[in-house]
Amino acid sequence: MEAAANGIALDVQDLHKDFGGIKAVNGCHLQVPKGKISGLIGPNGSGKTTTFNLLTGVIPPDSGKVIYNGEDIAGLKSYQVFQKGITRTFQITRIYREMTVFENMLSVAYLKIPMQQARQRADELMEFVTLTRLRDEYGGNLSYGQQKLLEFARALMTDPDMILLDEPAAGVNRTLLASLLERIHELQEQGKTILIVEHDMNVIMNHCEKIFVMDYGVNIAEGLPADIQSNEQVVEAYFGRRKTSHAEA
Amino acid sequence: MESRETTRNLSYLGVLCVVLLIVPDQVNVYYRSFIMFTMMYVVLALSWNIISGYTGYLSFGHVLFYGVGSYASAILVADYGWNWIPTLLVAAAVGIGVAIVLGYPVLRLKGPYFAIATLGAAESFRILATVWDDVTHGGEGISLPNVENSFSTYYAMMILMIVTILVSYWIAHSRFGVRLNAIREDEVAAAANGINTTLYKMIAFVLSAVFCSMAGAIQANKTLYIDPDTEFFILVTITMKLMAMLGGKGTVIGPILGAVVLYSIQEVVWVAVPQAHLIAFGVFLILVARFMPRGIVGFFVDRGWARKGMVH
Amino acid sequence: MLGGFLAAIYALPFAVGMMSGNVYYDLQWLNDLVTVMMSGMMQGGVYAMFAVGLTLIFGVMRVINVAHGEFVVLGAYLTYAAFNTPAFLGISAYVDPLVSMVLTLPIAFVIGYTVQKVLLNAVVGGPELTPLLITFGLGISMINIIEWIFSTDYHTIPYYPDSFQITESIALGKNKVISFMMALFITASVFLFLKYHRLGKAIRATSQNAEVAMVCGINIYRVYLITFGLASALACAGGTLVSIQFGFNPETGLTYTVIAFAIIVLGGRGHYVGAFIAALMLGILENLVSFLVPNGTAMVEMASYGTMIFVLLIRPRGLMGPKID
Repeated sequence: MEAAANGIALDVQDLHKDFGGIKAVNGCHLQVPKGKISGLIGPNGSGKTTTFNLLTGVIPPDSGKVIYNGEDIAGLKSYQVFQKGITRTFQITRIYREMTVFENMLSVAYLKIPMQQARQRADELMEFVTLTRLRDEYGGNLSYGQQKLLEFARALMTDPDMILLDEPAAGVNRTLLASLLERIHELQEQGKTILIVEHDMNVIMNHCEKIFVMDYGVNIAEGLPADIQSNEQVVEAYFGRRKTSHAEA
Repeated sequence: MESRETTRNLSYLGVLCVVLLIVPDQVNVYYRSFIMFTMMYVVLALSWNIISGYTGYLSFGHVLFYGVGSYASAILVADYGWNWIPTLLVAAAVGIGVAIVLGYPVLRLKGPYFAIATLGAAESFRILATVWDDVTHGGEGISLPNVENSFSTYYAMMILMIVTILVSYWIAHSRFGVRLNAIREDEVAAAANGINTTLYKMIAFVLSAVFCSMAGAIQANKTLYIDPDTEFFILVTITMKLMAMLGGKGTVIGPILGAVVLYSIQEVVWVAVPQAHLIAFGVFLILVARFMPRGIVGFFVDRGWARKGMVH
Repeated sequence: MLGGFLAAIYALPFAVGMMSGNVYYDLQWLNDLVTVMMSGMMQGGVYAMFAVGLTLIFGVMRVINVAHGEFVVLGAYLTYAAFNTPAFLGISAYVDPLVSMVLTLPIAFVIGYTVQKVLLNAVVGGPELTPLLITFGLGISMINIIEWIFSTDYHTIPYYPDSFQITESIALGKNKVISFMMALFITASVFLFLKYHRLGKAIRATSQNAEVAMVCGINIYRVYLITFGLASALACAGGTLVSIQFGFNPETGLTYTVIAFAIIVLGGRGHYVGAFIAALMLGILENLVSFLVPNGTAMVEMASYGTMIFVLLIRPRGLMGPKID
């Protein structure tokens, strides 16, 4: 397919979602480049998290296409999207609190490998995120940062080609964030495609090769970090028009 | 999950089998009955545990599978002259069928709504059994031909119990079981991690139903009389729940322990104070839910006497 | 959409009725039908008493009170006890059931308050299922305690057994009409209380957002206690009204619980007015089923249960509830 040839991993076309009067996503277009780290940003209420949920099948879109590997996956249920090779993390961690870290790792479906190998992979991934010593601890007893790492590791169990991270920096201290970002870059070097929704501008500007900006449910800009920073529309979306803010002051 | 542990557990089971095999010849009918019913409650508690302990969908109407199985068997034996053993298979099939038909709409409901829906379903079956006289003999119930069954039903129940224990054990140690637990913990996350929640819930529901209906069928052939109020009696669901919760729902040994302990206590209390028996159950349920939600097994785990994790 | 949904619910008993030959196309039958429907509406008023209490509990605490029907039955028995007390004491008189509400309702309030305090306050906000199990156990205990004291016999309280003659062929039982009036009065009073009284507003605030309410200085635990007490008193009132119209025994409690649930699901969880309307609708539906379907009276319980399942699957928000995704 043309898109794949151009190095596009995920081609989102004209996505719409209406919540009984509130048009959360009103025509979203994204062409997520393959093998790179991209970012999706926008002020509160811009529809970024909804878009994420639409892409990963947590809620069904009203209309639009999502082309992945030549197939339209829009409207598929989340376990089916997972099966296609796209995994995700959640903004507020959704790990299994009454199961141990190890069990959390092994709960993932479509592993397609025997139990023995699965356990090995789980151990390797726990090491990757330095959670090995917490292997037998209940998920609920982990600190917030550790839970984020766990969710991150869990999303890697099937060695997916594309990973969607929902606000990975939220509520995480600098050191942990740095190590998380290091891991993310390692994954990208392995050829994986990563899309991050974030509020933290430092993370986005310094780590993403391509950025998409949304406001009021539509795209308002996309491009390299430098372009976005100087884009007037983006600034306006975040800070409001200069005239208005002066009048209110 | 190491194979050493599996071997050890299987050998415990083996010892239990041997004991249970010898016992019926040594004791009188009353004790045979008592042990048979204890085994039955082990089956019921373990079954309830499969859907409610693992996936967290609390079924408040599980007795309906028991009732449906007992009616299927009783009708075939009393009205059509079947030998009771083949009716067990029919009871199982009926249990599976009802689980699929009921599960399809009801498993979509969340927590308390699922509970009430199953409760209502059980009540509806009870009413149906009372009203549909042509088939079920209505309120007067069905009397089965008087046959000396105490040995054969005992062995049948024993086999059913062993099978249920093995299946529960398998579930607990398999990926299937881990995923059922994941559904309970966070269904959205489970789905986002590739688990086809609808399918898994349905399989769990069906598994939890089939052993119940077979147990009901065996019971009908033991007591030789059934009627809508005893077979669809809400107390049976409560007892199942209480046993599983007391022992520790979500584990294997929990319901077994709970069943044995509770049934024994119940026999003693019932003989002593018949009226209070149900009140005591209600109060007991309140206390266990409030103070010991993880059951006996949970109690041990919290004290560090048993290792953590879902599997025992 | 909503219209179609409602039409579907009501069409079914008519369809069954037509198929089984219970429908006659003459004036007499039509009059009967109107009587049945009006009767149903008034019965619905009484059902509303069960449901609004449950709606409050759910709205404020997100707790499903499985024992709610038992509180209704408790109300019926308390009224019965009050009714028969003078006779018990050797005086040949009876305490008017409606008057006895002055005594029985506060008793129910105290019982509810205590239940909340002892059992439930500690578990609100935790896993949803713990209070469910606790109330379930409570319900079972209550049924059996009542049975222990009063036995499983059916009782009823004779009250204005004659009827108002509305038209030549439509008559409505006086006790039904009075009950309905009473139910309206009580429901309206509680509604006004919730809307205008300081405590009522506190309750509404807590049901919308408990954390914020707490920060605003509302003692939410006290609100919970009062809510449960109030809901119990409402259920008790429902029981009183039931006792003067129908027979009751300890086991009817379960039916009332199912009815109450069906109503709050139909009306929209947590929505007070919705619950009232849904109650009326359910009352009418039940009477229609009883009238049109063979073996109808036994099937009535299935009507409420069926409605609930139907709503949960087709339109989970019910009539007036917030949209559920």
